[in-house]
Amino acid sequence: MPTPYQPAATRLGPEAVPEPAPVSARPPLVRSRAGWTPGVCAAIARHLGVSVTAVRLAVVVLAFSGGAGIAAYGFLWALTPLEDVAPEGEPSALWSDRRRSVLVIVGGVVLVVVGLALSVPGVGVTVRSSVLVPAFVIGVGAVVAWSNLDEAQRGRWLAGGRGGVGWVRVALGTALALVGILVLVTRGNSVSEVWDALLSAVAVLLGTLFLVAPWAVQLWGDLRREQVAAARATERADIAAHLHDSVLQTLALIQRQSGDPASVTRLARAQERELRSWLYDGPQGSQESLAAAVTEVAHEVEDLHGVPVDLVVTGDRPFEQHGSALSRAMREALLNAVRHAAPPITAYVEIGPSGVEAFVRDRGEGFDLDAVPEDRLGVRQSVLGRMERHGGAARVRRREDGTEVELRLPPLEGDPS
Amino acid sequence: MTTPPTARSTPIRVVLVDDHRMFRTGVRAELTEAMAAGGPVCEFVGEAPDVDTAVSVIRTETPDVVLLDVHLPGGSGNGGGDVIRGCAGVETADGTPVRFLALSVSDAAEDVIATIRAGARGYVTKTITARDLVTAIQRVADGDAVFSPRLAGFVLDAFGAAAGEIAEVDEELDRLSAREREVMRLIARGYQYKEVAKELFISVKTVETHVSSVLRKLQLSSRHELTAWAMGRRLV
Repeated sequence: MPTPYQPAATRLGPEAVPEPAPVSARPPLVRSRAGWTPGVCAAIARHLGVSVTAVRLAVVVLAFSGGAGIAAYGFLWALTPLEDVAPEGEPSALWSDRRRSVLVIVGGVVLVVVGLALSVPGVGVTVRSSVLVPAFVIGVGAVVAWSNLDEAQRGRWLAGGRGGVGWVRVALGTALALVGILVLVTRGNSVSEVWDALLSAVAVLLGTLFLVAPWAVQLWGDLRREQVAAARATERADIAAHLHDSVLQTLALIQRQSGDPASVTRLARAQERELRSWLYDGPQGSQESLAAAVTEVAHEVEDLHGVPVDLVVTGDRPFEQHGSALSRAMREALLNAVRHAAPPITAYVEIGPSGVEAFVRDRGEGFDLDAVPEDRLGVRQSVLGRMERHGGAARVRRREDGTEVELRLPPLEGDPS
Repeated sequence: MTTPPTARSTPIRVVLVDDHRMFRTGVRAELTEAMAAGGPVCEFVGEAPDVDTAVSVIRTETPDVVLLDVHLPGGSGNGGGDVIRGCAGVETADGTPVRFLALSVSDAAEDVIATIRAGARGYVTKTITARDLVTAIQRVADGDAVFSPRLAGFVLDAFGAAAGEIAEVDEELDRLSAREREVMRLIARGYQYKEVAKELFISVKTVETHVSSVLRKLQLSSRHELTAWAMGRRLV
């Protein structure tokens, strides 16, 4: 029976078995998470199957033919998605070290070329320092601001991302870019001349803001509503899928086997349990705990024989070999109870600092341990012997109506509590 | 729980509140059948499918015991708890308060704890046998508490008793006394009150006193585990 928290693909019906993904001729165009640079060149190289150096060289060459390389680089940086997780076994540390050195070299080369362009007019593209410096400042600002966005994986923007540091970076980057723009605009002119222009620009901006604000707010609200509705629809679909796979299938089975009360009971009980754990337990963590193990055992016995077992567990502790022995002894006791005794069968496991105590109680005729032949291994070996081998104890009590098997384990060694 | 706690001259008047008609019919049929052998112990005087109907039916009929489902439509969304609060102070003809026994398929801790803290005298799941249900109704009608093994397990967990926390004095609200813990442990092991009494060499009446005292602690304690469960009730 599927658990509700399996990935959607494995939970869908047989008609929706995902087709094997077509073997792509090229690896997808995604950027690696490791390293210092955005990884654009590496991504292109991997996608096209050419050497990274060649791609980098091409970008640098293009950068000097009218800046096409820079534009392409920025564009690709913005639009290439990040890979999901770093692939297994990738030597990311080494990779990132190499990248860092490459970054330093590229940066140095760019600076040298820019310096040359500034000091020797007529080399490559002619640039004036009054344009170049502000442009450079804008570029640095944008890189600082956007790189943070990049780390926040763009989708989440800055909400709760990396908190203060992220905002400082964005503010710093934006300030740098603004200063650059201002310098670019005021180039050559005095500040007072620009002042009027600036004022009118601000007025226009404010006016636009006023006009646009209600519309933007409404749009934002619509977006939120849509998101909520979409989330709800997804949840509904999830629930429907789960009910389809579990409850409806079981109901169909029950209808088909309605002549056999034992199997109907078993099916109903198993389905009830499954639905209960889905509704109330939430995602199951690791099953490596004693409480989970004994619950599993009780369910298994229930499924095997169709006799309900009322299990109550309090407390928990990690699952180890002694606990494993206890759960196996408990399984044997439960099996004896469902085979030879009458329901209701109740089991109680208390896991506390003073050890583990487990009780299996039934309402049968009861039996005398001394009357059990020596060669019957069930109780003597599987229950009593097993508990003693693991430093615990077991006792079979015959009561007026039924039998109670009592299992004990000492606390875990090194348990501080 | 085979012997009635006390003999009664008149049948116990019962109102059944559950939003599933099929379940209401089922319970009535089962109880009638179960009582056919032992004489009419209970008498159904009304039923209701939602919170508002339930409150008005209970106010008119003033039954001895209300069998109450935990999840119900209507009211302020808290199901059975709303019914209990809506009927606060309602008394039967002979002056005892109307008592509630929660009956539900849910055995999630927050449902159990929330209903008990709203004022129910006990909690049994719908898988209970008809005979045990009759006994539970009698017990609740007599003002005693009804603890299923599962509820006892919750109590041991919630009060930290399973981890060895024991009250120094019996009156302490946030922990169980050693004796109460023993009683709860035996109930969790599936013992009937009679068997608990025999095991601990005390009378059934004393067992009932201990269980009622645990119920009181469960309702009044401000232990974090209990308030968290009551507050954090999820709507499923």
